[in-house]
Amino acid sequence: MKAAGVILAIETSCDDTCAAVVDGPRVLANVVSSQAEFHASYGGVVPEVASRHHLELLNPVVDAALAQAGVGLGEIDSMAVTRGPGLIGALLVGVSGAKALAAARRLPLAGVDHLQGHVAASFLEPDPLEPPFLCLVASGGHTLLAAVEDHDGFETIGQTLDDAAGEALDKAARLLGLGFPGGPAIERAARDGYPEAFELPVAMARDPGLDFSFSGLKTALVYRARELGDAGVAERRADLAASFQAAVVGQLTAKLERALDGGEWPAVSLGGGVAANGPLRERAAAICAERGARLKLVAPELCTDNAAMIASAARFAEAAPYPEYLGWDART
Amino acid sequence: MSGSERNVLALDAATDDVVVGIARGGRMLREASIAPSAGERPRHSTALLAEIEAAVEAGGGWSRVGRIGIGIGPGSYTGLRIGIATGRSLAQARGIPAVGIPTLTALALGIAARAGDPSRLCLAVADARRAEVFAQLHDGSGAPITGPAVLDPARLGDWLADAGGSAVADADEPPLSAGSGAVRFRRELDAARVETLADGDPAHRLAARHLCLLAASGEAGSPERILPVYLREPDARRWLERDNRTT
Ligand SMILES: [Zn+2]
Repeated sequence: MKAAGVILAIETSCDDTCAAVVDGPRVLANVVSSQAEFHASYGGVVPEVASRHHLELLNPVVDAALAQAGVGLGEIDSMAVTRGPGLIGALLVGVSGAKALAAARRLPLAGVDHLQGHVAASFLEPDPLEPPFLCLVASGGHTLLAAVEDHDGFETIGQTLDDAAGEALDKAARLLGLGFPGGPAIERAARDGYPEAFELPVAMARDPGLDFSFSGLKTALVYRARELGDAGVAERRADLAASFQAAVVGQLTAKLERALDGGEWPAVSLGGGVAANGPLRERAAAICAERGARLKLVAPELCTDNAAMIASAARFAEAAPYPEYLGWDART
Repeated sequence: MSGSERNVLALDAATDDVVVGIARGGRMLREASIAPSAGERPRHSTALLAEIEAAVEAGGGWSRVGRIGIGIGPGSYTGLRIGIATGRSLAQARGIPAVGIPTLTALALGIAARAGDPSRLCLAVADARRAEVFAQLHDGSGAPITGPAVLDPARLGDWLADAGGSAVADADEPPLSAGSGAVRFRRELDAARVETLADGDPAHRLAARHLCLLAASGEAGSPERILPVYLREPDARRWLERDNRTT
């Protein structure tokens, strides 16, 4: 059976505790309790810290989503939860909570793949996008180029071989002393810099495949920073940030362009936390305009990890009826 | 009278076992303790909820459950979170009040029953990994004398003298200990003048009836008040280094 009607979804795969209520393509509530401030001091996500916060926040976030949607648990028709991939301890909090909520109300439960969720964010209002389309998801956890032909699946045509794009931005921001999360910090600093100031490797952008790689870029930045010394880095921070951002955006859009030219794609969707990046959006818009393809920019609140996208994926996925899901584990 | 009495459901996932019980008026209707298969990891996530549903069924359904007792540790962090997320969410979904159950005190009730001597001190000791133990001292009725502590087993003797105070100094017999940490650190407990039950003694494992007993007597309230007892701050650097992403 498909998950149908009003869906309550939970997502805890990384460092945001999320719950949402969705009715068809309409988002009735989308609550995200970000833990970014707790992880900022470590310059990255600490799994044990994330798991502890998820446990504290899970039930209040579910309550808040129901209140915001103006519905009681009795009006929920099905539930959905992210089963993976992600941090195992973090996933288990959401999976345990969702299973228990669903079981106690005898509701069906859909187990959703987190990446399918990012793809399914495009099916939500405003301006829902219908397949077929190309989907670029770039965030702190993933960098994925997906061919979306149907609502219930996607084909990975390109992915990162090492760091995720957002992870690379986080690491660069840490190296440049710009704070966490790195994407917005780099973008802010880059506004006062010259993207061509430093030459960073573009080998991967020229590589004929559709996969991504960001670790070489990071290493190159480490060398530049070492050459410049602390004072030099402080002085050229804006130029370093602008050059690094240009290299990341350049690689993402070069692959997007190549994928677009490899097929007949009427539309492109840009999702994931890095999709909020201004220069990335501008470049993608230009590439799409040249080819007459529609560009869908997923709304910012649906770009970063959220539960509305998990509910959206559940609309097109098989939901397990009670009691089939009682023994579910997180998917590793 | 017993016809209108509500059931007490209790669960704990802070030890390697999945422990679930349901009681009415002090009588156990169903109890289970599910151990991991040899060499396997604990079955908290795969066995807990199904066993809870079976217990609720045995008690006549959710409408007969009056409160949910939830083990709050200390114990395995992941198990603890699975147990609390499950218990809290069940309570939230059914509008049932919840009670936090200190895991080591439930374990101590089993030791006290085994000792059968109201003057015998009972020491619950769980394996805390990283060569440490979670320990808590109780009197012969299972009432806590100390709070739960995490410590190097080599320091158990000093800790007992310190935290146990006159209760330990004035006792005629050495405290009796059990739990996964007691089995593993028997030698350290010997050195601390603590007697440990024989390996394989059932008192080393948490019993559902003791969870139900504590759940029945504790103060029930909003499920959001049920908080885990970790006893350790997250060691950020250690966890950052071995980031356990599953992809
Ligand atoms: Zn994500």
